[in-house]
Amino acid sequence: MNQTRPGPLQYVVLALLAIVFLYPIWWAVSSSLKPAADIIADPLSIGALTLDNYRAMFADVPIGTGFANTALVLVVRGAMTMFFCPLAGYAFAKYDFPGKNLLFGVVLLTLMLPTLVLIIPLLLEMSALGWVNTYQALILPGSIDAFSIFWMRQTIAAIPDELIDAGRVDGAGEFGIFARVVLPVIRPGLAALAVLTTMNVYNDFVWPVVAVNDTAHQTLQVVLSTLAQNVTGNRIGADFATVWGELLAAGSIAMLPLLVIFVLLQRHFINGILAGSVKG
Amino acid sequence: MSLARLDRTFLRSTRLSPYLFIAPFFVVFGAFGIYPLIYALQLSFMRWRGAGEAHWVGAGNYLYLLTSPEFWASLGNSAVMWLLIVPIQVMAGLGGAVLLANAKLRLRGLFRVAFIAPFVTPLVAMAQVWIVVFDQDYGLVNYLLNLVGLPDVGWLTSTAWSKPTLALLFLWKTTGFAIIILLAGLQAVPGGVYEAAALDGASRWRQFWSITVPLVRRSMAFLVVVQTLAVFQMFAEPFVVTEGGPYGSTTTAGLYLYEHITASDLGTGAANSFLLVLLVFGLSLVSVRLLRPKDEVS
Amino acid sequence: MSTPLMNRRGFLKGALGVAAAGSLAACAPGGPSTQPSKLAAPTASASSVKGEITIWNRSGDLFKVFDAAIAKFREAYPNVTVNHQAVDIDAKLANTLISGTDVPDGSFWDDAKIGGQAEHLYDLTDLIAPYREQTAPYKLSVNTVDGKIYGVPWDLDPGLLWYREDILESAGVDPAGLATYDDLLAAARTVKEKDPTTRPIHMEKTPFLSQLWLEMLANQQGTSLTDAQGKLRLDSEEYRRIFGWIQNAVKDDLVTHAPYLEAADVKTLDSGQQVFVPWAIWWSFAPQQLLKATKGKWRAAPLPAWTPGGARSGAMGGSSFVIPAKAKNPELAWLLYEFLCFKEPGYTAVYGPNDVYPGGLSTSVPSFSPALDPAKPLFQPIEALGGQDLWKVAVEAAGTIPAAAPIPWWWAQSVDYLGNNVQRLIEGKMTPDQVISESAEKIQRNLIDRS
Repeated sequence: MNQTRPGPLQYVVLALLAIVFLYPIWWAVSSSLKPAADIIADPLSIGALTLDNYRAMFADVPIGTGFANTALVLVVRGAMTMFFCPLAGYAFAKYDFPGKNLLFGVVLLTLMLPTLVLIIPLLLEMSALGWVNTYQALILPGSIDAFSIFWMRQTIAAIPDELIDAGRVDGAGEFGIFARVVLPVIRPGLAALAVLTTMNVYNDFVWPVVAVNDTAHQTLQVVLSTLAQNVTGNRIGADFATVWGELLAAGSIAMLPLLVIFVLLQRHFINGILAGSVKG
Repeated sequence: MSLARLDRTFLRSTRLSPYLFIAPFFVVFGAFGIYPLIYALQLSFMRWRGAGEAHWVGAGNYLYLLTSPEFWASLGNSAVMWLLIVPIQVMAGLGGAVLLANAKLRLRGLFRVAFIAPFVTPLVAMAQVWIVVFDQDYGLVNYLLNLVGLPDVGWLTSTAWSKPTLALLFLWKTTGFAIIILLAGLQAVPGGVYEAAALDGASRWRQFWSITVPLVRRSMAFLVVVQTLAVFQMFAEPFVVTEGGPYGSTTTAGLYLYEHITASDLGTGAANSFLLVLLVFGLSLVSVRLLRPKDEVS
Repeated sequence: MSTPLMNRRGFLKGALGVAAAGSLAACAPGGPSTQPSKLAAPTASASSVKGEITIWNRSGDLFKVFDAAIAKFREAYPNVTVNHQAVDIDAKLANTLISGTDVPDGSFWDDAKIGGQAEHLYDLTDLIAPYREQTAPYKLSVNTVDGKIYGVPWDLDPGLLWYREDILESAGVDPAGLATYDDLLAAARTVKEKDPTTRPIHMEKTPFLSQLWLEMLANQQGTSLTDAQGKLRLDSEEYRRIFGWIQNAVKDDLVTHAPYLEAADVKTLDSGQQVFVPWAIWWSFAPQQLLKATKGKWRAAPLPAWTPGGARSGAMGGSSFVIPAKAKNPELAWLLYEFLCFKEPGYTAVYGPNDVYPGGLSTSVPSFSPALDPAKPLFQPIEALGGQDLWKVAVEAAGTIPAAAPIPWWWAQSVDYLGNNVQRLIEGKMTPDQVISESAEKIQRNLIDRS
């Protein structure tokens, strides 16, 4: 790349872009800490800080249950994705076997399917299995997803074959090579996969709305997506400021874990995407 | 079977192990993908309201959709969204990537984090923030417009602005991701190429167009395909922010599909899905072909 | 007791549930039979009935009100344990009904949902028979499918004419003289002549609510979007009358077109731009809680009639109680709902003064006529209405509400056509004939023909 020192103009452009990207997050978090009435009356100010919006929100919606369920689904489903997707990606990247192209084609085709189409048939299946209102209904469908396999194939394809052959010469089994040679090398890619999977599971809300109908199993996004109704339904005459205050509080608190995970993993995440995406 | 034995008999075999490695995906996909898929395909030829008996209607659902103004309007809405999103994102992404690719840039890590932070925010939460920020009466954006003496704009309540406002949400959330993808392509460009061009006296601008752009074509193709899929299946943004309104102006292809499901018109919903799959597949093929690097054109 | 800030989302969710529910019913072995199960009254005496029931209600203030009422029920039936749960019913109930998992013994539900879900509910016809004559005909009609009653009729939400007393007085308009909608137009013109900045009549800008409002005006004339057989009756004299009236009001610039109690609405209500709000009784909370400048200046009257001597009110929204076919203790749930709806200590506990609403609950009235005595108010006169006895106005209006028909399962979906076209009519972009023909064609093609 042209490695001349960047000029002030470039910094100005970058700084402006950074503000555009960060300001809505900042505004949401800072506004959630303001008295509800001020969010509307004076959207720019940061004056008195208060936790009133959070208190009201915790009283109105079971956001704690939402967090707990999302965490549980995330851990189990995340573990499955993090193990099985690199494994399949490894097979597609480093082995030649009859039917490979056809099978990989199937993986790619599933990427094109709108998930919405499968919802109703899937729900039927869950009901036939007696899985409605269970964690396995939230966890299993989509737990080993095509995009992650595709992504891992790209990442693993970049590993030199010699490294793998060396492992084979050392007498490691096929699985041993995967566990002891491949996985350590693709650690940044795994970090990227972890962040992407976390985001997918964290943000999924169509399926959880359908698959589960008791309060005990609802995930964070389900809680969030029905928040506005819960707040307005809760108080005859709740005004906009109150609703907005609680929406922003819930949104901020939901944002927090992902932002923290991301900031902790950001170097690996970005390097992982750089390593895994299509080159040149 | 003990693990050691398992390893000896299967996992040491280079012939069998790849099948074993991909088996979990196909088991899960078979159980929770293929079965519903076949079911949906069958449904697409039936009229079924979810209760009672299903009737075979042949291609009836497909014909109904293809002759529905609403179906075509939903595709039109998605096409406009695509135009509002993908070209801008590719250009902004490329610009951002070029700026970030410079190793001498100070605060590079900070900028990268700032750009990609929106990508990791929960969509439902940010969609709700959008409602608040772009509210016609109390929103931040109109507040700022009023400060400089401009009148209120119906960002989410007028048919003229509803699509751009939603497109902005999509752009805001995913452009950082686009920058990183294109950055990956850029960093694979050997520096020597530029030095040679500089020696030849090519201007920066010319370098960009004649060297950078051709070299990141494949990353661009990847980006365009991924975002085309995302835009045509876009659902959560209009569902949360506008519910498809005003006057159906934000009823995207994805949301229209969902509306059949909410109307319990399951056969039509399935047929709509398969039409959408065909369209998205076709669009992806076209983008890949158009953006294919020149040397690969046979 | 409609949720004041209701929107379409709940209906969408519910409808998704319909799909889910139906699918399961068709496929899962042991799904509910197509023959509705009929519920019979328990024979044991009050003190000897025993058992436990799970009851779903909406969360929030209303939940607290019902909680207190259920405590009264326990006094009457000491051996019944009520597990009272606050639930997001719109999102949950429809799915739950068929999946058959954790089904409640009874639940609160929008009248608009019940017609489409009859096969998953107990047929309550025999139980309600003793109270039938004394129940509002509108509530019976929306809960009746093929001659069978599936919901215990709960609240009645009469439409009223909300007006600014001070402005009418200074304009010399006598609210008691507003007997027909033409009178209302004339009064609006008079007000506007006096103060040209007014746009006296509120018209709704949310498509969903504007369609609900339209149905109130239709119900007043004894009609509704479909008849009992599900046939569309939009192309009728009654609807034409409503649309023509809207068009005239718009033409004369007498309309404030604003979304229900959102900022623009509150601003113009408080500024004196709006003078007349024809709306359901639940608008009463606006002067009590949202309007600052004009609190105390609003009053309620019966709606004007469409034809001289016609009905002075129509229903707008409302809910009932259902007992799922898979309930474990349906008889006990019935006892609870019978107590709440048809027994004096029950409905008094809900509507009368309580801890949550010291003056009583004034956003709807019961649908059981013995409860609707103008001389025996359940809730108190309201200070924010200048001390007006809203109870008396409301129950007298409620007594005139005609019957309607079951609300079709696609009602919420039809907002995309009818609700949107009503908006276009109010914006002057469509004529009444266009609204009727376009909406009817689309509803027929996209909803009715595809059932």
